[in-house]
Amino acid sequence: MHRYTGSDRLLVLLIVALAGIGFLILVGPVLVVLVTSFTSSRALRFPPPGLTLQWYRDLFDPVRSSQIHVAAGNSLLVAALTAIVATSLATAAALAIARTRAGWARFAEGGFMAPLVLPGIAFGLAALMFFSWLRLPPSLALLVAGHAMIAAPFALRTVGAAAAGLDPALEESSAALGAGPWRTFRRVTLPLIMPGVAAGAFLAFVSSLDNVPVSLFLASAQTDMLPIRLWGMMETALDVRVAAASGVLVAVAFILLLVMDRAVGLARRMSG
Amino acid sequence: MLDDSRSAGSAPDAAGRLRGHRLDMDGVRVRYGQTLAVRDVTLSVEPGEMLALLGPSGCGKTTLLRTVAGFIRAEAGRVLVDGAAIDHLPPGRRGVGIVFQSYALFPHMSAAENVAYGLEARRLPKAEIARKVDAALAAVRMEGFADRRPRALSGGQQQRVALARALAIEPAILLLDEPFAALDRSLRLDLQLEIKRIQRRFGVTAVLVTHDQDEAMSMADRMAVMNAGRVEQVGAPAEVYDRPATAFVAGFVGTTNRLPGRIEARDGAGYRVRLDAGATFAVESARGFDIGARVVLCARPEQLALRDGADAPDAFPARLRQSLPLGPALIHDIEAGAAELKLHAARHGAPPAPGPVRVALRPDATPALFPEGETT
Ligand SMILES: Nc1ncnc2c1ncn2[C@@H]1O[C@H](COP(=O)(O)OP(=O)(O)OP(=O)(O)O)[C@@H](O)[C@H]1O
Ligand SMILES: [Mg+2]
Repeated sequence: MHRYTGSDRLLVLLIVALAGIGFLILVGPVLVVLVTSFTSSRALRFPPPGLTLQWYRDLFDPVRSSQIHVAAGNSLLVAALTAIVATSLATAAALAIARTRAGWARFAEGGFMAPLVLPGIAFGLAALMFFSWLRLPPSLALLVAGHAMIAAPFALRTVGAAAAGLDPALEESSAALGAGPWRTFRRVTLPLIMPGVAAGAFLAFVSSLDNVPVSLFLASAQTDMLPIRLWGMMETALDVRVAAASGVLVAVAFILLLVMDRAVGLARRMSG
Repeated sequence: MLDDSRSAGSAPDAAGRLRGHRLDMDGVRVRYGQTLAVRDVTLSVEPGEMLALLGPSGCGKTTLLRTVAGFIRAEAGRVLVDGAAIDHLPPGRRGVGIVFQSYALFPHMSAAENVAYGLEARRLPKAEIARKVDAALAAVRMEGFADRRPRALSGGQQQRVALARALAIEPAILLLDEPFAALDRSLRLDLQLEIKRIQRRFGVTAVLVTHDQDEAMSMADRMAVMNAGRVEQVGAPAEVYDRPATAFVAGFVGTTNRLPGRIEARDGAGYRVRLDAGATFAVESARGFDIGARVVLCARPEQLALRDGADAPDAFPARLRQSLPLGPALIHDIEAGAAELKLHAARHGAPPAPGPVRVALRPDATPALFPEGETT
């Protein structure tokens, strides 16, 4: 048996302390927002003087919060389309990369990952200038295009991991048994990489839903996005509905995460 | 038209026997970048025959098989089934069934779904698919496992399903790439016998890749010994074993003792060879050698014998290091100068004591002679 020495204990203590601090920094603010969303005060305040569901009622009021609802609808639509576009692109790229050993594949993979390290603000500005140079007016389609660029790397990572684990002999077997490329993809490849695809779609959806920098540049009055609207509400008044909206988003993300984790083991895929 | 005849598998001939299809490889050359993996291989597999591709790792067996299957395009040469070139056809239209070393069963499908896959790709009616799946699973004695996923099957069972899947599409040619490599030794023999039985029953022409010479010997009607991308010899296993065409084949198929020497004189249908170890053997050989040429005599362990007593000129001195029992036989581990020799002898009585011995050629033995440089 290994026996702990004094310095071992110290190390364990240090790790526990660091983990605790990390947990506080990550989870603390979320808890603060959740608690604040139930405040009975007129403005955002922590700790709340009393508790009420008033702000949630306000948030879901179709008349008083109609602008928020429009923005939320836009955001959900863009997030859903982004998930579809980014995951389709990432799946095609991941399969192409997994099938070739050539140097350009590594290069292409690097290119796909670039939006991860490129500052979102810079990318948003670049996208805006590019689209206006093409004389394209702001639209949800452009927002989807911009979000998809940002979201694709997440999907590429999870789909890529799934595709790398695919035995090439399976696709060869399928071809040898007389299946064409489309049947092979539909019956063999896609079902086998499905967990990675689903995880990638989830990540793309969430990253689009709370994207600010790209939306900031590409959204217009007609294509208002939820994070931008919430930010606007914060600027004019410390509207507590912002906290309530955050509470709803946290709850939705949490439920989605649980579902995904049950279905495909998301945590395992993201760390792999 | 051609397609029909091919996907029809093996049709019975007039006598009701199944007849297979003929496979020809004609000057096939395959290159990966700089490496020439297959060098102008010409091979024929007769209808219903099982041919083993035997050779050391990296000699190009898998590459040749994959070229026949259509996964690799040959740089030169042709592959023909029943005399018609199939090089332009994709893998699924060549009438070829494959069993991979890893079995490559679809993990998300049951055994029955795996077997049905190729039939569905051919858009056969549902009822016919169901009938053929049942028949194929029954042929490999897996009818009780139709609903199991591959993960819930043992290695041997997975392999049977893989075989059923390959046979269900009634291929003209069955390709097997080291199908037993992932199995225990004990299981291997059972499956070897079974695959052989099924292959005979279906009358399907088969190519078996292996680097296990015992497997090739026991399963194949003929074997092709490959070395560095070339076929060095094709023939029935016994023929290859008894009359190796090259020094490489002599060394790779079975165990061989290499005895260097010099051609001393012509002698009837062969030569008198003066061994460096110090004896003169008379050896039959169809090859031409000059008098005085350096040669290597390759003798099987059972072609040499211990000779006691007088120092006759047809035996050379050596030292017996040890004798080990091997089943009903005895293996003598012998040192002759720099060479190490293995001798097989029948086991009767006590094994001889280690020490100086004399080694001679058995009277009926026909060892092989090769020019010295050819030894690889
Ligand atoms: N995809 C590839 N790219 C480049 N070289 C390859 C490739 N596949 C095989 N080779 C090379 O071609 C040669 C023949 O390989 P092959 O796989 O056909 O050998 P093999 O006889 O099947 O060997 P083993 O018994 O180890 O399976 C080897 O030298 C190998 O390194
Ligand atoms: Mg191989």
